[in-house]
Amino acid sequence: MIEFKNVTKVYTTGTEAVHDATFSIDKGEFAFLVGSSGSGKSTLIKLILKEEEANSGNIIINGKDITYLKPKRVPYLRRSMGVVFQDFRLLPDKTVYENVAFAMYIVKSTPKHIRRRVPDVLAQVGLTEKAKMYPNELSGGEQQRVALARALVNNPSMIIADEPTGNLDPDTAWDIMNLLTDINARGTTVVMATHAKDIVNTMKKRVIQINKGIIVRDDKKGGYNSEV
Amino acid sequence: MRFNGFTYLISEGFSNVFKNKKGTVISLITMICAMFMFGAAFAIGQNVNHVMEQVQASQGIEVFILDDATDEQTNTLEAEIKKIDGVSTVTYKSKEQALESAKEAFKEYPDAIAGYTEEYIFPASFIVMLTDLSKAEGVESTIATLENVKNIRSSNDTMNTLLKISNGIRIAIIVVFAGLLVIAMTIISNTIKLTVHARRKEISIMKYVGATNSFIRGPFLVEGIIIGFVAACITIALVTIAYDYVVAGIEASDILQTMNITLLHYSEILKMVSVVYVILGIGIGMFGSAFSMKKYLEV
Repeated sequence: MIEFKNVTKVYTTGTEAVHDATFSIDKGEFAFLVGSSGSGKSTLIKLILKEEEANSGNIIINGKDITYLKPKRVPYLRRSMGVVFQDFRLLPDKTVYENVAFAMYIVKSTPKHIRRRVPDVLAQVGLTEKAKMYPNELSGGEQQRVALARALVNNPSMIIADEPTGNLDPDTAWDIMNLLTDINARGTTVVMATHAKDIVNTMKKRVIQINKGIIVRDDKKGGYNSEV
Repeated sequence: MRFNGFTYLISEGFSNVFKNKKGTVISLITMICAMFMFGAAFAIGQNVNHVMEQVQASQGIEVFILDDATDEQTNTLEAEIKKIDGVSTVTYKSKEQALESAKEAFKEYPDAIAGYTEEYIFPASFIVMLTDLSKAEGVESTIATLENVKNIRSSNDTMNTLLKISNGIRIAIIVVFAGLLVIAMTIISNTIKLTVHARRKEISIMKYVGATNSFIRGPFLVEGIIIGFVAACITIALVTIAYDYVVAGIEASDILQTMNITLLHYSEILKMVSVVYVILGIGIGMFGSAFSMKKYLEV
């Protein structure tokens, strides 16, 4: 599903953010990307999203080598993945319903399909009641659930989450984690970059740890080991 | 499915116009100002051309015919003059007509030509009109070589001066035109850049959700086109009012009336101005938003 082969990324400033990274995440897996700030987690996410270009090595997503993907094809790559960020990134002047429907407009779904699908997803994240509210009327956890609904609405094969619980209090963070677990249980691959030690330790999922750009650990059922 | 995309594009473009009121107003005002100046330069240019045409049309060369030339020789001369490149019309002026026009010219001072009215002492001539003032010298020297020509009277200096003035004005207008175009494009592209910058978050979200560049650009283009079109319409209205006012003022002046020169009526340039404006407005709006978006699409 996601395969990195000897990937190295050096920014134009000279910083080597990722050095010779090799790992693969299979379909239906739940994987944590852990590491301290500046370790290269975000760069890994950006490489998966094709927001940054690798300097060397190959990145294969859904069986396709995206290393030399034409810029024009990037939007189609991103449609195969749902993305969730720490800062939610919702459109402030659109309602919850519109924010989710927006992702469907973009991939040119029919209005009929949108009308059916959006309420389903909102129900899945438990926001049916809040469909007509605006993001600033919602709590952080609710906003993140809207972002999750948006990520899910086009049935992506994987969810890429960059510190999705970073701005949330522990209880709310667990709500989001439960949703992600639920989504994963339905067969969607989940890749989540995080700092949250307790979440990683409790979930007992695969952990890929990166430190100073180097993958230092890859445990099938690991915990967050910040000592390494 | 396509239709859905199209409706999205149009409705989103329209709602952008209203959502972003400040940006819309700034863009509108800058566009109207630039296009108004543009229109002024255009109107002046068209009128200068028009006036020059009239002045040129009234500038002829008078070719006097030898008194002893036969009718046949006169006809030959006429045919030869007509053949010269740059000659538009040749009108015969008989001795009788020459006398009549002399009488007419001196009608307030009949004494001045008192002794000359009985005989036809004024020679017959051809009034030669030119297609183009710049060919005057060539035509004149060619005529001078023909037979039965007594002498030639032309207003060479006037012609040259007029030619210089009209060329100078044309060049000045082209320079002003080009300058204004650059200024207008710069201001508008910057204004739209601000608009796009204000919406960079929205654009980056669209990119992450998998929107293609053309999909993102679409509503902004529609927005630019709408603003450009509205600006064009408003400018046309403003120019119409201003033009009639200014032209009425100028035409009332003595000089133009004495010279028997008219300015273009607005309806004569309206069609041209409207076409230019609509193309310009839509073009500036469209390219302005396309160029200013480029940077933000590289996410």
